[in-house]
Amino acid sequence: MEMYSQAAWLIPLFPLAAFLVLTALGRSFRRAGVFIGSIGSLAAFALSLLIVIDRLGANAVDYNYAFDWIRIGDYTLRIGFEVTNLTAMMLVVVTLVSFLVNVYSAGYMKNDERITVFYGYVALFTFSMLGLVLSDNLLSLYIFWELVGVCSFLLVGFWYSKPKARAAAKKAFIVTRIGDAGLLIGILLLFWYMPNHALDFTTIQSVFDGQTGAITTGITTLIALLIFLGAVGKSGQFPLHVWLPDAMEGPTPISALIHAATMVAAGVFLIARTYDIFQDSAAAMETVAYVGGFTAIFAATVALAQNDIKRILAYSTVSQLGYMMMALGLHSLTGGIFHLFTHAFFKALLFLGAGSIIHAVHTQNINEMGGLGSKMRVTAWTFAIGALALSGIPPFSGFWSKDMILTAALETNPLLFVVGLAGAFCTALYMSRLFFLVFMGKPKSAAAGAHESPATMTFPLIVLAVLAIIAGFVETPWNGWFGSWLSGEPEDAHGSGVVIIASIAVGLLGIYLGWLVYGKGSVSRTVIAERLPWLVKLLERSYYVDELYAAVIVKPLKAIGAALSVFDEYVVGGVVRVAGAATSSVGRLSARLQNGQVQTYSLAAVIGFVIIVVAIVGRRFLP
Amino acid sequence: MSILHDIPVLSLILLSPLLGLIVVLLLPKHRSSWLKTAAFIATLIPLALSLWLYSDYDKQQSGAPFDEQLNWVEVPLNKELQNGVSEFMFKFQYALGIDGLSLPLVLLTALVTAMAALAAFHVKKRWKSFFVWFLLLETGMLGVFLARDVFLFFVFFEITLIAMYFLIGIWGYHNRERAANQFLLYNGIGSAIMLLAFVLLVNTAGFRIEQIGEQANFIYSGSYADIARNMADPNAWVNMSPEQLDMFNPFQMTDTMQWVLFIMLLVAFGIKLPVFPFHTWMLKVHTEAPPSVVMIHSGVLLKMGAYGLLRFGVMLFPEQARDWAVVLALLGVVNILYGAVLAFRQQEFKLVLAYSSISHMGIVLLGLAAFNEIGLQGAVFQLVSHGLISALLFLIVGSMYERTGTTELSKLGGLARSMPFMSGVLLTAGLASLGLPGLSGFVGEFLSLLGLFESMRWLTAAAVLGVILTAVYVLRSVLKITFGPQHEKYSPLKDARLIEAIPMIVLLAFILLLGCYPSVLTDTVQYSIGGLFEQLLATRAGG
Amino acid sequence: MLPSYLTMAAILFCIGLYGALVKRNAVVVLLSVELMLNAVNLNLVAFSKYGVVPSLTGQIFSLFTITVAAAEAAIGVAILIALFRLRGTVNVDEFDKMRR
Repeated sequence: MEMYSQAAWLIPLFPLAAFLVLTALGRSFRRAGVFIGSIGSLAAFALSLLIVIDRLGANAVDYNYAFDWIRIGDYTLRIGFEVTNLTAMMLVVVTLVSFLVNVYSAGYMKNDERITVFYGYVALFTFSMLGLVLSDNLLSLYIFWELVGVCSFLLVGFWYSKPKARAAAKKAFIVTRIGDAGLLIGILLLFWYMPNHALDFTTIQSVFDGQTGAITTGITTLIALLIFLGAVGKSGQFPLHVWLPDAMEGPTPISALIHAATMVAAGVFLIARTYDIFQDSAAAMETVAYVGGFTAIFAATVALAQNDIKRILAYSTVSQLGYMMMALGLHSLTGGIFHLFTHAFFKALLFLGAGSIIHAVHTQNINEMGGLGSKMRVTAWTFAIGALALSGIPPFSGFWSKDMILTAALETNPLLFVVGLAGAFCTALYMSRLFFLVFMGKPKSAAAGAHESPATMTFPLIVLAVLAIIAGFVETPWNGWFGSWLSGEPEDAHGSGVVIIASIAVGLLGIYLGWLVYGKGSVSRTVIAERLPWLVKLLERSYYVDELYAAVIVKPLKAIGAALSVFDEYVVGGVVRVAGAATSSVGRLSARLQNGQVQTYSLAAVIGFVIIVVAIVGRRFLP
Repeated sequence: MSILHDIPVLSLILLSPLLGLIVVLLLPKHRSSWLKTAAFIATLIPLALSLWLYSDYDKQQSGAPFDEQLNWVEVPLNKELQNGVSEFMFKFQYALGIDGLSLPLVLLTALVTAMAALAAFHVKKRWKSFFVWFLLLETGMLGVFLARDVFLFFVFFEITLIAMYFLIGIWGYHNRERAANQFLLYNGIGSAIMLLAFVLLVNTAGFRIEQIGEQANFIYSGSYADIARNMADPNAWVNMSPEQLDMFNPFQMTDTMQWVLFIMLLVAFGIKLPVFPFHTWMLKVHTEAPPSVVMIHSGVLLKMGAYGLLRFGVMLFPEQARDWAVVLALLGVVNILYGAVLAFRQQEFKLVLAYSSISHMGIVLLGLAAFNEIGLQGAVFQLVSHGLISALLFLIVGSMYERTGTTELSKLGGLARSMPFMSGVLLTAGLASLGLPGLSGFVGEFLSLLGLFESMRWLTAAAVLGVILTAVYVLRSVLKITFGPQHEKYSPLKDARLIEAIPMIVLLAFILLLGCYPSVLTDTVQYSIGGLFEQLLATRAGG
Repeated sequence: MLPSYLTMAAILFCIGLYGALVKRNAVVVLLSVELMLNAVNLNLVAFSKYGVVPSLTGQIFSLFTITVAAAEAAIGVAILIALFRLRGTVNVDEFDKMRR
């Protein structure tokens, strides 16, 4: 029965309606705003759930509907929606997290005077993200892709009077825009190369899957790399990851919703949607894998040295997105999407937990916290579940998805397997550091008056914690249901005992080391900082990537700007001024000839007349 | 057939501002509110009529079904010189017409002018003469888009120039007279070149012989239809070499001459557009003219350059335009990048917007250079879209200047706290300007790039770089104004009044409409321009 | 007959032109202008009598010219008097207001 899938276009309309109502309300009706926003996302969630339940049976048919957006001569640009198992899964993830964040924000943002505006932005974001997920072609995907970017921008800059928030919002928009420009060129390229200029995913699949040879490998690689550039920007992959840690200036529920669970995963989703293009090009696949792998280890090491709780989680997100990319690059579509699925829950859980902590202690520096475990039991327990899931400890969900990625890596690319293991070790280490510093030990200054957050905030934590435990069981080494549901055929990359043992071992090792250093205190925390101060500094400043950009891009751009404005002022404007001055000086010179004597003028006229007469008459006498 | 076909609707649109002008003249000059109301109502008439016309326009026809023609100026020449000639004259017509290209621009003009009339609340002196020039300016702009005779076109083009000269020179800011002079001189040069080109056109392509029995009429016509037909017809005098004709042919337009004419038109309209080295005058106008006038200037007057380039440059000389497509595209890319980089440098918000206009008009050039239907659509779309967006931006600039007394970026900040509505509109307009999907800027930009990509990959890629830079400078300036800590002295400022909010909302609504449902514009443009363009190419290629 | 008339008129015209261009006294300049006009009249009458196509038009024209010359002299002298009252001189060298 395809009944619910046909109604999928309604899903984004619920949050859109909520957004419109909230915008019309302005800053008034604070309580109603919370209610409207939550209802919008709840309705969307309910319908998404119905669709997924509808599609759980075998062989659900994809449903597609599109209409002409622009018709120009023989060309048409279309907009439409499509429900596949992948999009159905994304729908549920997006609407669920969105709904939970709506509920959570009722507590977290309670005292903000612009809470209605906040809910409006969240509703707009949910609408755009759902539109992105449902899009049936690259153009409409791009449209919503930009819209989620702008919502992210608005929400990062939500507390606009903070200069840091302003800078972060600007950076988030511009850096992702660089990736978007790549994606745009990719779309242009695809438009002119595809038969019939079709941009919808179904046609893309048939063209690239059928080995028709309609498009040469070189162009395919180029298109794939350009699309990947878009994904790099959105999903915070190296080297365009710089915006994501800064985006933590936004309210914490937003970090959970946009910068952990949904929007940043859009890059992974995009590649999954256009996977056939990538599979056609070995070079593109390798690039994706290596960029993902590098980002995974790179960001994980940076997270080790951060002191801001949200920045740690942000770098962790970057790192986990790297894992997803790596999985996609290693031909494991299921692995990437599976990790996206589990990660959405446990990372949203971690961020919301972090929000709960920040709400209680009013600081983000983990060194100022401590001993919160006894005061905030729900937060501590749920956070622990999230941390274990992220560290890849069975039976929590993160273990199963990470295991799948590592298995895929071991089979095809041992180097990336090692990188993945090292990343997993770092992950476990920084999470245990975070956990022990925040919840264990003696309470520090900021933790004095801390108390558990209200029920509106703990309820989403509990729901997400449950999901973080159970979400992994949809795909285990002995149960390939998720993979077969997603792609139609079960993925066989499973079951290698080596991988399971190795991944559990590094996870436990990381946690043990973290406990030794930060929990028990038997190893001095400063041991590395004393021996290798430059290394710690390097990690703290995240390898100086920001500084590098400032030196390589921003400075030259400013210099070009300065040079051009001099050029504009003195060369272009100068020519104009010289021309003007020349004209008026010629005028002034000829004005000298005027002496005001009528007789002189008439004499000149007579002389001229005589010359003309002589010239005309004299011609007769010439031979 | 609707009632619109029975009334001279184009003349009504064109002349109704003049009616308002007469009313304004009759009102006492110290009654500012009467004058403002009368002028606003006078701008509503062409708006209502052109909206009606737009909704009623038969998209399937490729001609101009609402044409109006009257003989206007006839300069008789000495017919005794030729035997058997009954008439021998220069003939200029009062010929009006619309097609899918001019109709959206007429509507844009009417809309932006009406909104600017509302925004003219800031005029503090000599209201009467302000609105006289204002309404005259509107007639001029409408005339430019409606005229179907080169001479008529020229006259209206000049009317806008003169009206603008006074509007800048009397009601502008500090350096207004300098700005007005530079405006007039620069555009005067452009007009002179244009006039010369038109005279050459009339004397070659405009010539036609009507054989009536034994008698023949020799007519130099300024009619655009005649010129276009002759240019496209391989058997017309203008396209026949003396060898083909076996006699002396003073009306032949040689290849060299076609090139000269094309380049003359390119320069003449390039100054107006403005194209890269000719842009300096525009900066002064943007900074010195009063906001409601800049709304019109940047919203409509710049479009006249692109319109002229398209109507006369590209449509009359398609071969030259095609051969020079790379040059046009190159100019477009230079405009985009040059404008964007310099906009990034400016400390004065009005200058940021001025350079951003240069950058955005570059996209129009790209669309023209694409030389396919998609690119052409993109160019027209970008014209309309940029008209709306820049009008909106300057509307807000005017309102903000009235409150804060400055447009220096360094002196502004945090206005979102005291003026949330206006800041929200400014941010949205900025996002529209940087090409956010869902708002009109994206469609024009996307179509232009898409069209150009077919033939010029690398130039398109370079232009996409401009898309990134646009985001940089728009966000930099808009966020500087609205976000950040608020200056103490700005905290008591009030948000937009109703009379300011209405034009903002109307313009924003149109921007949203075009962004979400672009077919409302593209379909109108498509059926007349697409067909005409193809046909033009085919005939020229055949000849 | 015609050449002698024309020669006479030419001589008169040249004298008038010389006076109009060279003389300092404005009254003399005005007189010289009259002289030139009369030279033209002479030509007109001569042509109307001895021209290739004799007709009355020339004589009618000369009547016109005489009338106009009279009016011109009246206005000229009036301006001259006004100028004299203003500047206290009839020396044309000092009438150079046009320069500024």
